[in-house]
Amino acid sequence: MPPIPLHHYLIVGAILFALGLIGFLARRNFIIMFLCVEMMLQGVTINLVAFARYRGNLQGQVFTLFILTVAACEAAIALALILILFRRRRSLDVSLWQDLREPGEEATMDEEPLPPARRQPAMPQLTPSGLEPEHRPEESHV
Amino acid sequence: MSYCLLSAAPLSSTEWWPIVLPLIAGGAAIYLMLPRPRAYPVLWGAGLGLLALILAGVLLTRSGVVSPETILFWAFSAIGIASGTLLVTQNNPARAALSFTLVVLSTCGLYLLLAAPFLMAATIIIYAGAIIVTFLFVIMLAQQVGLSDADDRSREPLLATLTGFVLLGTLLFVLQRHDHRVNQSAAEIDQLIERTREVAAMKTPSAMQDGVGEPGGKDDLFRQFEQMYRDKYGWRDLAERVDRVMIAWTVTPIDAKDRGEEQLRARLSELVAIGEDAKHRLNWLPPAGTASLSHFSGAPPTTQAEQIRRDKTTGLPRMPAENAAYVGRSLFTDFLLPVELGGSLLLVATVGAIAIAFRRS
Repeated sequence: MPPIPLHHYLIVGAILFALGLIGFLARRNFIIMFLCVEMMLQGVTINLVAFARYRGNLQGQVFTLFILTVAACEAAIALALILILFRRRRSLDVSLWQDLREPGEEATMDEEPLPPARRQPAMPQLTPSGLEPEHRPEESHV
Repeated sequence: MSYCLLSAAPLSSTEWWPIVLPLIAGGAAIYLMLPRPRAYPVLWGAGLGLLALILAGVLLTRSGVVSPETILFWAFSAIGIASGTLLVTQNNPARAALSFTLVVLSTCGLYLLLAAPFLMAATIIIYAGAIIVTFLFVIMLAQQVGLSDADDRSREPLLATLTGFVLLGTLLFVLQRHDHRVNQSAAEIDQLIERTREVAAMKTPSAMQDGVGEPGGKDDLFRQFEQMYRDKYGWRDLAERVDRVMIAWTVTPIDAKDRGEEQLRARLSELVAIGEDAKHRLNWLPPAGTASLSHFSGAPPTTQAEQIRRDKTTGLPRMPAENAAYVGRSLFTDFLLPVELGGSLLLVATVGAIAIAFRRS
């Protein structure tokens, strides 16, 4: 029974990397851009682990462990930075920070208006802590 | 063997269309599905994406065998790529974070197929368990006032898709090219091995000698093997081994009944074994030098191809069964300094994150 050739794994890694690249370039939400970068890292780790398997050497797996470490650090710092940016502009939109672009570059303008009646995006919310919900003892079964 | 992947040889159509077809379908799917104020119908993008996935599976990762391993590989990669597409095209950040979890989980399935169970567990715990939860917290904390433009618009969808797919096309082209060459060389060696097996199946010693061909002649089996190894690939040691087998073949007495036949068969099976060794070498980069490197993480880069212990049925190098123990040994011998540095990096990142996110009232 022949094994799966190495380059099949490399193809999957390349596809994940390219998808992440597209997302990073096209999307405008800080968090989604960051998730796309993480997906590019996933594509790279598939390559490393596949080479480790087909070379009979554990160094690829160890590299992937280090990538995990660095990704965790990166997530911590990036989320802290995203929080600060959010506090300044009250939005996660990258285009609100386009004052930082190079001189001579044109500003991105949104010409097309968003359609007026759109569905409300289902965003999960944290329940505010500290407020006790109202109790109605006569309905309680406890 | 030349290790240059891109030679001046022109592209043949059988080489480029299996790459271009799924790329066009996939690129169109991503372009249609990227969020924009006046969105295209979802079904168009989804259908094209499915078509691209199936085309890529059939044309790019065709292996001919259907075994549990290949089915799992296809399932994990299809789920991973599909949820990656969802992550890129989803306009709800919370759902995007969840589809990223799915990408991580299917990648972990691929790790398991690649004999890395410790890494699989670590990735699930760290990524799916810790990083994604932090992301979801931030998404919920950063609840936007009213609707924002950011999630429903994309920046330059056409150019971004083109960039990504041109990169992907280049990578796939190089990979396919290399695979094509390795397959061609393997088929050539297989042909000679097949002929050797046919000769070994013959009944009488004289028939076998006829089958091998006239010594020094054009159809001399030994000479064909030797010339291929020496001139085409530059594998001197294999050519010398063939030489030795040839000398043993010529001095084998064929008069003694039965014994001579068996001896000849033994010579031919040596030839087959050398051919199998040569096939393993095709995917193997030449050793980088002769320096003695550490063996703690497995066979070092200077190992010769024939010194690798291989699995009998699959031909892949053997990996230790106790993956976690051996990864630990590698971490604390070869990579001790990087482990320490990684620890300090985590500490610094923690301090930094707290310092950055601290709210001054």
